[in-house]
Amino acid sequence: MIEFQSVSKQYSPDAVALRDISLTVNKGELVFLAGPSGAGKSTLMKMIAAIERPSAGKVIVNGQDIGKLKPAGIPFLRRNLGLIFQQQRLLNDRSILSNVMLPLLVTGASRHQAEQRARAALDKVGLLDRAASMPLALSGGEQQRVSIARAIVNRPQIILADEPTANLDRDSANRVLDALKAFHSVGVTCLISSHDEQMLDRAARVIHLKQGQLEGGAP
Amino acid sequence: MSVWFRQHGFALGAALVHLRRAPGSFLFNILVVAIALALPFTGLTLLDNVRPMSESLSVDPEISIFLKQETDREQAQALATPLRQLVKDKQAKIIFTPREKALDDLKTKSGLSDVLTTLGDNPLPDSYVMKLDAFRNAQAGGDVDQLAEQIRTLPGVESVQVDSAWVKRLAALLNVLRLALLLLAATLGTVVVAVVFNTIRLQVMTQRDEIIVSKLIGATDNFIHRPFYYTGALLGLCAGALALGAVSLALRPLNVAIAEFARLYASEFQLAPLPPLAMAGLLAISAGLGLVGAVLSVQRHLSRLN
Repeated sequence: MIEFQSVSKQYSPDAVALRDISLTVNKGELVFLAGPSGAGKSTLMKMIAAIERPSAGKVIVNGQDIGKLKPAGIPFLRRNLGLIFQQQRLLNDRSILSNVMLPLLVTGASRHQAEQRARAALDKVGLLDRAASMPLALSGGEQQRVSIARAIVNRPQIILADEPTANLDRDSANRVLDALKAFHSVGVTCLISSHDEQMLDRAARVIHLKQGQLEGGAP
Repeated sequence: MSVWFRQHGFALGAALVHLRRAPGSFLFNILVVAIALALPFTGLTLLDNVRPMSESLSVDPEISIFLKQETDREQAQALATPLRQLVKDKQAKIIFTPREKALDDLKTKSGLSDVLTTLGDNPLPDSYVMKLDAFRNAQAGGDVDQLAEQIRTLPGVESVQVDSAWVKRLAALLNVLRLALLLLAATLGTVVVAVVFNTIRLQVMTQRDEIIVSKLIGATDNFIHRPFYYTGALLGLCAGALALGAVSLALRPLNVAIAEFARLYASEFQLAPLPPLAMAGLLAISAGLGLVGAVLSVQRHLSRLN
């Protein structure tokens, strides 16, 4: 499903984000990516979404080599991924329903179909009653759940969540994590980066990164 | 196919939503572009009105031959024979106009009947008009001038006038004006493209977050670019319509002034708006210029977000 083969990422001679990373995340797995800030967690996630390209090695996602992926193919790769960011990146000039509909509209779905599925996704994260609200009227935890709804509305095969619980209180963080685990339970592969020790305690598999390298060898 | 239409519908809707959010800015841009378009549109309207007038005038060479006042009628009519010999085998129509008929024509056409009646004696001479159908090629000008010189030497001839010269001058002037208009249109077309380019640049900047999010959730470049293309085309189209409307409105006061002027020449000449097909063509060109500005801007500014 996701495979890193001796992957390195170097922005400049002095800025090496990842060094010789090899790992595999199997289909349907829930994997946590742990490490301090600057360890390379975000870079690793960005490579899976083809936001960054490896300087060396191979990143294979759903059988596609990201390094060889043509620019025109990137949108179609991303439609199979659900991306969740620390900053939710919601569009503040439209309702949360419109935000959640957007991934469907870009694929050419009709408005009616997009709205139905967006409402269903909001229902799954417990925010259907706030469908008409604007993002800024929601708490940080609620906004993060909207971004989860947006990530899963396209029924992706993989969810990538980069520090989804950072800046959230414990209760909100747990609700976000519960929502992600619910999607994992129906077979979605989840890769979640976090430096929250309490959250890592609930994980079955944790990959530790430090200064761009895997801690304790290849998992 | 339905997905294609749906995506274009979405892009048009997105463009309209963004325009509705900043209507003042959009209207101001329309005004700027409309002013730039109005100048060549006005020129085109004027040329379109003058062109049929110049085309209706004969550019075939015509030579007017005025005889001396003292030439009697018999001598005057006898001049037809040497004139025919001069044009030889060439197609030419030679029309004799007696001085009485010339005076009658002048009274009828000029509206100065009362003034002419007070003159007493007829001041006009007998005359010939020679219409030369066969002198159409580039060498014709020289041939006509040579012929006019030969006619001048005939006995009884007072003066000879090559009448087509001013028509040629008018045609040449219209060609110069047409070229000037083309250059003006090219310059102002560039202005339109530049204004749209800048408008789209600002839109790309204000919608930066939306563009980035769209890319991350799997939007193709076409999906992201399309609303900007529609915005540019709409801007051009609206500005083109405004410019055409302004030109049409401006014709009314202009026609009042022209009517006064034309009356002095016993003419009813009036400027008419461009025909609907030409207007549709100009609207399409306006929208096309907007689209070109948008495409250039999107290619330049969105590539920086990749």
